[in-house]
Amino acid sequence: MKKLLMSAAAALGLAGAGAQAGEDLTLQLKWVTQAQFAGYYVALEKGFYEEEGLDVTIKPGGPDIAPTQVLAGGGADVVIDWMPSALAAREKGLPLVNIAQPFKRSGMMLTCRADTGIKSPADFPGKTLGVWFFGNEYPFLSWMSQLGIPTDGSEGGVTVLKQGFNVDPLLQGQADCISTMTYNEYWQVIDAGIAPEDLVTFKYEDQGVATLEDGLYVLEDRLSDPAFEDQLVRFVRASMKGWKWAEENPDEAAMIVLEYDETGAQTEKHQKRMMGEIAKLTAGSDGTLDPADYQRTVDILLAGGSDPVITKEPEGAWTHAITDKALK
Amino acid sequence: MIWLLSGALFWAAAFAVNVAVARSRHSARRWARVFVPALFGITILVVWECLVRGLGISPVLLPAPSAIAARFASSGEILWQDFVQTAVKGALSGYVIGCAAAFLTAILVDRRDFLRRGLLPVGNFVAALPIVGIAPILVKWYGFGWESKAAVVVVMVFFPMLINTVSGLGETSAMQRDLMRTYAAGYWTTLLKLRLPAAMPFVFNGLKISTTLALIGAIVAEYFGSPIYGMGFRIQSEAGRLSMDMVWAEIAVAALAGSVFYGAVALMERIVTFWHPSQRSQR
Amino acid sequence: MRSVLPVLAVIAAIIALWYAGALALNAKWAREQAARSGTELSLTALVVETMNQERALLPAPHQVLAELWDSTVNKRVTSKRSLVFHGWITLQATLWGFALGVVVGVGLAIAIVYSKVMDMSVMPWAIISQTIPIVAIAPMIIVVMSLIGIEERLVPKAVISAYLCFFPILVGMVKGLRAPESAQLDLMRTYNASALQSFFKLRLPASLPYLFASAKVGIAAALVGTIVGELPTGALRGLGARILVGDQFGPPIRIWSALLAASILAAALVATVGLIQRITLKRMGMAQ
Repeated sequence: MKKLLMSAAAALGLAGAGAQAGEDLTLQLKWVTQAQFAGYYVALEKGFYEEEGLDVTIKPGGPDIAPTQVLAGGGADVVIDWMPSALAAREKGLPLVNIAQPFKRSGMMLTCRADTGIKSPADFPGKTLGVWFFGNEYPFLSWMSQLGIPTDGSEGGVTVLKQGFNVDPLLQGQADCISTMTYNEYWQVIDAGIAPEDLVTFKYEDQGVATLEDGLYVLEDRLSDPAFEDQLVRFVRASMKGWKWAEENPDEAAMIVLEYDETGAQTEKHQKRMMGEIAKLTAGSDGTLDPADYQRTVDILLAGGSDPVITKEPEGAWTHAITDKALK
Repeated sequence: MIWLLSGALFWAAAFAVNVAVARSRHSARRWARVFVPALFGITILVVWECLVRGLGISPVLLPAPSAIAARFASSGEILWQDFVQTAVKGALSGYVIGCAAAFLTAILVDRRDFLRRGLLPVGNFVAALPIVGIAPILVKWYGFGWESKAAVVVVMVFFPMLINTVSGLGETSAMQRDLMRTYAAGYWTTLLKLRLPAAMPFVFNGLKISTTLALIGAIVAEYFGSPIYGMGFRIQSEAGRLSMDMVWAEIAVAALAGSVFYGAVALMERIVTFWHPSQRSQR
Repeated sequence: MRSVLPVLAVIAAIIALWYAGALALNAKWAREQAARSGTELSLTALVVETMNQERALLPAPHQVLAELWDSTVNKRVTSKRSLVFHGWITLQATLWGFALGVVVGVGLAIAIVYSKVMDMSVMPWAIISQTIPIVAIAPMIIVVMSLIGIEERLVPKAVISAYLCFFPILVGMVKGLRAPESAQLDLMRTYNASALQSFFKLRLPASLPYLFASAKVGIAAALVGTIVGELPTGALRGLGARILVGDQFGPPIRIWSALLAASILAAALVATVGLIQRITLKRMGMAQ
């Protein structure tokens, strides 16, 4: 009996030593598997994470999955989220910290049908606009607040619809304008048969109300653990390597993303086009958060008038500690 | 630790009280029938509060009942607006239209045996479908307003109500129908004076089932597209903002509305079908 | 023949109405597209166009059947694009949820019938529990599950499914366990039967017809519960996920084929329970 126990213990010990090859890290995406997250899938597929000694699990998101809630519940170590939602969560008592910002530019825009007569934001009052919620409504609400257009249904305001993630409200005429991303829904509208000449688009970047989008966030108290910090450094390094590879090889990156798509719903054409557009948003960023971009986002959110997204200047919401070590 | 201990103590004490009341000679009285479940419910709330405080659960995951109550009190206007949009405009109108349509269809179908034999199997099939899957399609057809939610509710309550009414209309015995014939009563007189009253227990069974279906249907339908108010919308968007106390306040409103609705129908059932054995007290 | 003919007639009428509806609802988009390309649409061209739209408001029956065929027969069973694959995921969660619902429902029913205090305190809350919109709680259940370390999406789906199906089973079992007449209960007492014997030899057999009747309702509710559980949780697999995906990214026809697949699954499950009911009751001599 003793011999059996001893050999079993030895076998377990050896197995344990072997399994330590990769440290576990879980990443929660903001949305379903698509080229928007190509960098991470490329890093996984091409072995960049493995080279850094990490065993990364990528959890796709979806409607009704709040990455911040998953982080709070311990379902993930790192999440991808947009800065307005992360700052709002921080103010609510969930201490999120931005450790990297792969996306330099915003891809959000409002797409309107030309036959509604809308030519500029001044034409919005009295129209029906579609907006996503679940964390994506903050940039829109800030913009409307700055334009002085009420969204609660009062005089001279706009009627807001909670749109789903398809473009039917625009196609069927239920909304005059809908929120779209340059890399996704806009192309769904084009694919459905409406020509670009029949559409009027307002990019948030051009309107001066763009906020920072996909960034990597962790919980503040975990940053004080040096072992975890080291894991994050390696993770960010490998992820940015993945992003730069994806920027240079968009078509192959799209194919890698398709491999990992669990729903079987994504198409090659859509993903390749998406990757091309995403590359425009990540270009110019090596992963380091530009404090000027951060400040711009905060100012836009604070200027929200009667219903600001955040009520005071956030403190300690970002850190360069990880990117400094990862990219030097 | 204190919280956990006091929670356990409260639960034990309340359980003892409930056992005592249930075993006493007062157990059949009306006050006892309300007191025991009420104390049970209060116990759950107290234990919940103690667990949240004792284990230090983050409010972002599970808020304490005290926080929910505070939010409930301070957001009365929003909750009322959501309630009107979803429960009154969406669920109630859909419920009335759906049940009326099913009732009329059952009576129409009753005349023609051919129709009944064809419609009932198809009706049983459709009643088993996950009607919630139709919600995105109906939102595409009827738009984002309350009309599409009412449409979902109509589809959800139509078939259970139809099946129950048709079953109820078949409840009379041959002897009772023959008696009406000896009175020279025509089809419509027989229907109004014998078969419809006899069908009432089944009709009310269908009405009661439909109350829960109606509210759930209206809330789920809002997940697929809605204006920026409504219970389903509020639950979804506040969950996205991590305001779990608001989510639970809305859930409380839904539970309250659903229970009141069910209770109202049950009360009407008592009045209309006072003669039925199921209205006697339990064994 | 007597009962098949009316059913066929009703189904034929439904299909005819469906085609008419497709023509009526899809016409607007067809006309708009024609106006955009500057062409005129004759009536025959309009009819053909409305029957073959990619983003039809109401796809014609043949479109739905074609998509269903394509997603089931034309795909490998293990492919993520196969409806059979997704149907199996949903079926697994449904069966587990149903099993859990039966255990909870029957257990609570026994407690309610045998304990006065449980009867008075739990029954009203069981009724109220059905008024709570479970869709709202679904994301929270997932978070709680991952808190306690369960990552499998199957568990929250099964929990939600059980939540929706335990109630019909509970109500049915309570009715069934209380079904024996006083005379029969007294008879057991004259035989000096213990409570346990009385339960297994009288109450339980008497409750089986009621159990099967509510099991049919319960299994349909369990399927609805699984699909509802897949919707707000951003599930990636299963029929509810297909409906969600069809609504959000994919061609909308996927919603229809997923719904049809779900209905076929529901009908099959209810029929299976009905078959088990017939066999069991026949062997017990309680054939209805």
